[in-house]
Order: sequence, then structure tokens, then C-alpha cells
Amino acid sequence: MGATRTRKSRRDVTRRDFLKRAGWTGAGMTALIAGAGRGHASAQPAGAYPEWIAASTKPAKRGGTLTRASAWDPPMIDPRLTQSVGLYQFAGLTSNRLVRYAFSDEATGPSDMSLKGDLAESWQSDATNRVWTFKLRQGVKWQNVAPLNGRELTAADVKYCFEAYAKEGVQTFTFQEVEGMETPDKHTLRVHLKTPNTLFPQNLAEPIALIFSKEVLEEDGDLKKRLIGTGPYIMKEHTRKVRVVLQRNPDYFDKGRPYIDEYIILSTPDDATRVAAFRTGQSDVIWRASVSDAEAIRKSNPAVLVQSFHNTLAPFGLALAQDRPPYNDVRVRRAISMAIDRQKQVDTVFEGHGIPGWGVPYIYYQDKAPTLKELGPWVQYRPDEAKKLMAEAGQGKGFEATLFYYEYFPQMSSQVQLVQQDLKKNLNIDIKIQKLDYTTYYGRYVDSKWDGMSWGFQSGHAIGLDERTYQYMHSKSPKNFFRVNDPTIDDLTTKLRRTPDRGEQRAITKKIVDREFDQVLRMWMPYDNGFLVFQPQMRNVAAAALRRTDGYGSPTLARAWMDK
Amino acid sequence: MQKYVMRRLLLAVPVLLLSSLIVFSLMRVMPGDALIALMGESGNVGQKELAKLRKDLGLDRPYYEQYLLWLWQMVSLNPGDSIFTNEPIPVSLKKAIPVTVELATLAMIIGIAIAVPVGVLSATRQDKPSDYVGRVVAVSGLSIPDFWLGTLVITFAAIWVHWIPPIGYVSLWDSPWRNLQQFLLPAAVLGFRLSAATMRMTRSTVLETLREDYVRTAWAKGLAGRIVVYKHALKNALIPVVTIIGGQLGVLLAGTVVVEQIFALPGMGRLTVEAILYRDYPVVQTNVMLVAATLVTLNLLVDLTYAWLDPRIRYQ
Repeated sequence: MGATRTRKSRRDVTRRDFLKRAGWTGAGMTALIAGAGRGHASAQPAGAYPEWIAASTKPAKRGGTLTRASAWDPPMIDPRLTQSVGLYQFAGLTSNRLVRYAFSDEATGPSDMSLKGDLAESWQSDATNRVWTFKLRQGVKWQNVAPLNGRELTAADVKYCFEAYAKEGVQTFTFQEVEGMETPDKHTLRVHLKTPNTLFPQNLAEPIALIFSKEVLEEDGDLKKRLIGTGPYIMKEHTRKVRVVLQRNPDYFDKGRPYIDEYIILSTPDDATRVAAFRTGQSDVIWRASVSDAEAIRKSNPAVLVQSFHNTLAPFGLALAQDRPPYNDVRVRRAISMAIDRQKQVDTVFEGHGIPGWGVPYIYYQDKAPTLKELGPWVQYRPDEAKKLMAEAGQGKGFEATLFYYEYFPQMSSQVQLVQQDLKKNLNIDIKIQKLDYTTYYGRYVDSKWDGMSWGFQSGHAIGLDERTYQYMHSKSPKNFFRVNDPTIDDLTTKLRRTPDRGEQRAITKKIVDREFDQVLRMWMPYDNGFLVFQPQMRNVAAAALRRTDGYGSPTLARAWMDK
Repeated sequence: MQKYVMRRLLLAVPVLLLSSLIVFSLMRVMPGDALIALMGESGNVGQKELAKLRKDLGLDRPYYEQYLLWLWQMVSLNPGDSIFTNEPIPVSLKKAIPVTVELATLAMIIGIAIAVPVGVLSATRQDKPSDYVGRVVAVSGLSIPDFWLGTLVITFAAIWVHWIPPIGYVSLWDSPWRNLQQFLLPAAVLGFRLSAATMRMTRSTVLETLREDYVRTAWAKGLAGRIVVYKHALKNALIPVVTIIGGQLGVLLAGTVVVEQIFALPGMGRLTVEAILYRDYPVVQTNVMLVAATLVTLNLLVDLTYAWLDPRIRYQ
């Protein structure tokens, strides 16, 4: 009897036993997954990660292959037709601009916005700031690929390129400013602008203002198949949804550079896969959205380099249909702004590492990032004041509104919900959230005919002050998606373009920002630029403000090298 | 038999027409269009430019004209170009189809290789621990979604064994070993899911068959257990299993969409998802029609397999 019982208890599993064991197994698995994931509790404070990784003092080594699992796939490779980061994560390495911002081995820190010559050796304007003369480097050769076959770059090439940009595509706004161009000699380009613009060179330093080849455009009718430039890397392969392969250009004008032989970008749409690729050494660079995400990687790969990417602006904010009631009343805008607890978003959604939110990069008007307090009274969380203002504006009972958005990153949904909660609780504004896919969102947002609210954006690529002020805020600009229509802003942004003095530029920019916050013309929301994580052997890869090494700031990889 | 096949093929025509109408209408009902998405990459939208592009692409025509034009393109085997990339659709399909076919085939092989032996084992050892294990595996396969399992597998593989399949698709002909490494894990994820229902069905039908008179006779004749189970019982138990495998082909193709995304494989799934997101009408429509035609054909093949498995079945 005893023997039978023993045998039975070993072989037969009752339903109750099974459920119990399955329950414990499930709990164990959940714990394991949680452990392998973010690990919020153990996250290192964000301050532990530097905002800048100084250039290596060791002599650079040649060779190696840099690989990166990338979320982006270029929709096309014609720089006239897209501003997509999918293209500019590498196009700035195949092609040059006339001028550029300092690379990470030249910059003094993340806020260094000094301009350097790229294809141009020098540039200057006349007294009116309408005529700009660029002296090109001599002996710059196009890549040794048919149909260019390594011929010399001339001023006529640049003129052709700018004319093509003005004719069609995404940069018409910048290049239609050009009234005419002349090429007094092979290496001089003179640009006549329609109106004075002291910031014109900055516009030419934007990562999208690449010089492409006339021959390819004329032979193919577009630039969708071949991308041939003068840059440090030659595009060897572009297989959609698979990879982009760049190979060192041996004839690059900056002799001895680039150091790395090959740069491979692997199209990897899934975030978990990109992380796994980094962990296993298949990818050398990865961006993480939060401290705990970065920390999770450091747990499995302790030697990695982490850079806290410098927060200079917030690209997203609450956009109101401010050209119609009730949002055309500044009191309503101010009340809404004061009813939103931004600090709560910074503390919870961004784990204490975010910025409260502003639209114009602060580095253009002050040295230190503004604190929440410095952003003025209408950004402070003061629900009682907000209620009073709403009552004054005749909206004391609240109203209903729709807020549509596209989730650019997971934290955004939490932010949208917090805003919904704050506005309901404090002002009885009943918000119906519409989460849209990118195409629907984008189409509706840029159409600028929507009612209510949207989670608005400003483009990610822009570095220059002109783009961040005049082009995004002037009432006549096609990029004025927040529907700003303020005569003071129009005057100030136009004046800024006519002011060559750096100090005066800073003063005017500050006035623009003050006016923007006072009138609540764009209601910026907290943001965190996140973290860049590099494999330990990477050198000279630090991302500077507004130009991330794995995105629009990729040209700096011309100076990167691998210490192994 | 020929008549039956012909009749089935003729019946496929209204099915495909209906599918074409549904996918065409759905794409037009969705807000936004490919040009907005295209210009979305640009940062500004010129209404004039949009109108011109729309006209060039025939998107300004009435819907019925667009539909008829597309039908004609499909019938003449020239589905046109992608609006978003300008690439001819046959070129995109030529690159994507082999990836999905390879993934689906491997997944199917893995799924069946797991399902049938485990199902038989489960049936022959009913209510024993091995049966419980088999059933737990089957229920897990049915309940765990592909995206979760895929993410879990790739995350833990990276942490525990410091290895994941090499990213950056390489074709089977260029490097068979690398290709196999790239496909094994995603195929296992898909195959696991596929195996679940098949395993349960195999278990049930084998259990049922094992109680049949002729099986009892086979045992009485003193045949070896392996022969009784695999030769006499299993073949007769397979018809419902084949049916369920056929029915799961749709699930398999749907699964490739997610798995291709996770494992960065440039197959039909990724092509379709991207086309849907960017409202690339011609690509989505062509892909959906291709999938519909494939499913219709595969279902026909499954039906024809019955006759091979059971000679008593005759099609008229």
C-alpha cells in the first residue's frame, strides 16, 4: 500500500498541484523579466553620466568597422525631397556642406556652436548682409565613382545645387531667399539674398544642406538611386530595410581621415532587438530614452560609455488652435499653461532628468539652462490662479476639447494623459485624446486647420537660430505649425536676421523667448534628450547640442576612431 | 478531380474580387495619404506641390476609376510602383517574398516537428506527467503572443548567452550558415505558436483513433506498439491535423508580420506594415491580394491532400 502511494504521488499531478506550480513558475518568470528590464529602483542618478565626452588625447588609430543597429530606414536618398533622419544619419558622411558646426574633437563642449569651413574655406558678407561670398577649398574631389570619377568640385557645382534646392523639395524656403548667384572664379561663390540675413551661413550648415552632384541628377532625373558626394565615406550599398554600407573615401580632402574603414547601419525597427544587438556587440552605438534604460544596459555591459545628451530645447508641446476661440484669448492660454504641473512630468515621466520645456535653444540667449522658475509666471503650476483667469475669460465652467497626437516615444503618452488629468481637475476642461498613427497625425497637424489641441512639434534636424526662430515662429513661414501670429514676434525675428552682432543677437533672442512665454504662443512640455551609449572602444563620438552622433550629427563620425 | 480543381479555382475569382474591394475601400477610408506621409518627412507641405503629385499619381481621380485601373494593373501583372519609394512593386516583392517563404517554411517544419511527436506522446501517455508537460506547452503556445515571446527570446539570449541572430539579412544562397542563424530563432518563435494547436489536435485525434476497433485488432495481432501507433493510428488521425495546419497558414502569415519586425527580416510582413503606415496604396493592395491568393491556393492544396491521406475520399 505504501509503495503504491509513493508511486502514485510521483506520477500523478492533480489539477490543484499543477495550478499551484504553474502560478509559482509564472511569478518567477515575471520577476526575471522585470529584473532583466528597466530596474527603476536601482537606476543610477542621471547626474552620474557626463554631458560631454572630451576628445581622446591618444593618437587616432586607423581601421575597423563601425556598426549601428538603427531604428530608421531612409525613405529615399534624395536630399532635395526629405528631411528624414533616416537619410541624414549617414548622408552627412557621403556629402559635405559649405559650412558646418564643430566636430566633437574640435568643440569645447556640447554648447559650442562655432561654425567651421566644410567645403568653404572662408565666408563673409557685405555691409548690408545681403551678399555673401564663399571661398571654396581648392583640390576637393568628388568621389571616384562614375559619373563623377573624382573630378574637382567647383563653385558652379554648388550654384547648381542651390538652384535645384530652390526649385523643388523641402528646402525651397531657405533657398528661395536667394535672389541670384555668381561664380567669379572656379572657387568663389557669391550669393545675393532677397533680404538681409546674418544667419544665412548657419542655414547652410544645417545637416540637410548637402552638396550633391549635378551629373547624377541630370542622368537619373532624381537622386533616388545614387548618393555621390565629396564626403569622407562612399555609399557602397543601400538595401532598403536591411543595411546601408559606407566605405572610407581614400580621396577625402581632409587627409588621413576618416579613421574608420567601414560604417554599417543595420535597419532594426524593434527597440528590444537594438538593445540586444548592442549587448552582444553587433552594434556600437545606441540611444536610450531614460536613465533606467541606460542603466539596464550598464548592468549587462559595465564598460560602456554613457553620455547624457545635452538638453537644449523641447521639441514637443501643447499646440492650441490659437487663431480661434477660446484659445485666441491670452488669458485662456495662460490659464491652461498654469494648470499643467510640469515638474510632476519631469519627476515621474522623465525620472527627474527632463527639462521643463522651452522651444528656442537656450544656448542662443544665455549660458545656463533656464530653471522652471526663470521661465516666467505662466509656466508655474498655480491651479488657483488658473481658475481665476479662466473665469475672467468667461470660461469658468470649462469646456470640451480634443487633443490628437502621435506617440513619438512611449513617455509621450504618459505626458498626454497627465495633461488631460491636470486640465480636468483644475479647469474642468474635458479632453478627448486621439492617438493617431504618424501619417494621419502629420497630415492633420501640418494642415493647420484642426480645432482644439494637438501635441505639436518642431523639426528635429534644425540647429541654426534662424530656423528655430524666424522659420518656426514668423506668421508668414510655412513651418509655423503652432500658428503663431504675433506682430512683435514677426518684428523681432526679422530684426534678428538683420543683426550681425552676436551680443545683440542674444539680446533679441531673449526678447523673442520672453514674448513667447508671456503670450503663451507655444506651450512647451517637459522633455529629455536621453542618453547615448557607446561601446568602450569608441573615441571622439560625443554628441553636441542639437546634433546627435547617431542622427543629424553623424558628420562628426569623420573624426571617430576605435581604440582596439 | 480536374473538375473539382477547376470549380475551386473559379470560386476563387469572386473571393479575390471581394478581397480586392475590401482592401481598396479600407485604404481609402483611412485618414491621411501617402503624399502627406511623404511630405511629412519634409517639414512643410506645399498645397500646390501636393496637388501636382496627386494628379501625377492618379490619386485625384474618382475612386471607381482608381479601382478599375488597379484591377487592370493586377490582371496584367503590372501592379505599378510604390508611391513612397518609387520602386516597382514586383522588385520589392521579389526581395521580400523569399524571406517570408523561408521563414514560414522553417516555422512550419519546426511547428510540425514539435507538434506531431509531442501530440502522439501525449496521447499514448494520457494523464501521465509527459502528457501534462505536452499540454502545458500547447496551452503556452496558444496563449503567448508572438511579439512577447520574440522580445523575450532575443532579450534573454543577449543577456544569458551573449548571442542573438546576426542582424542584416543575408540570403540563403549568399551565406547558408549565416542565413540559417538569422532564421532559426524567429522560425522557432513562430513554429512554437503554430505547434500548439496542431499538438492539441494530434493528441485528440490520436486518442480517438487508438480506441478504434481496427487498432484493437492491430494490438491483438501482436504488432509492435510503434507500428500500431505510427502506421495504423497516426495516418488515420492526420486528416483533422492537416485541416488545422491549413487553417493556421493565415495565422502563420500574420505572425511573420510581427516576427519579421522583431528579428529585422525584410519580408512581406515588414513591407506591408511599412506600406500601411505610409498609406502606400499600391503596395498594400498588391500585398494583400497576393496573400489572399496564396491562402486560397494553399487551402485548395490542403483539401487535395485529404485524398492522398484517405483513399476513400473522392472529389467530384
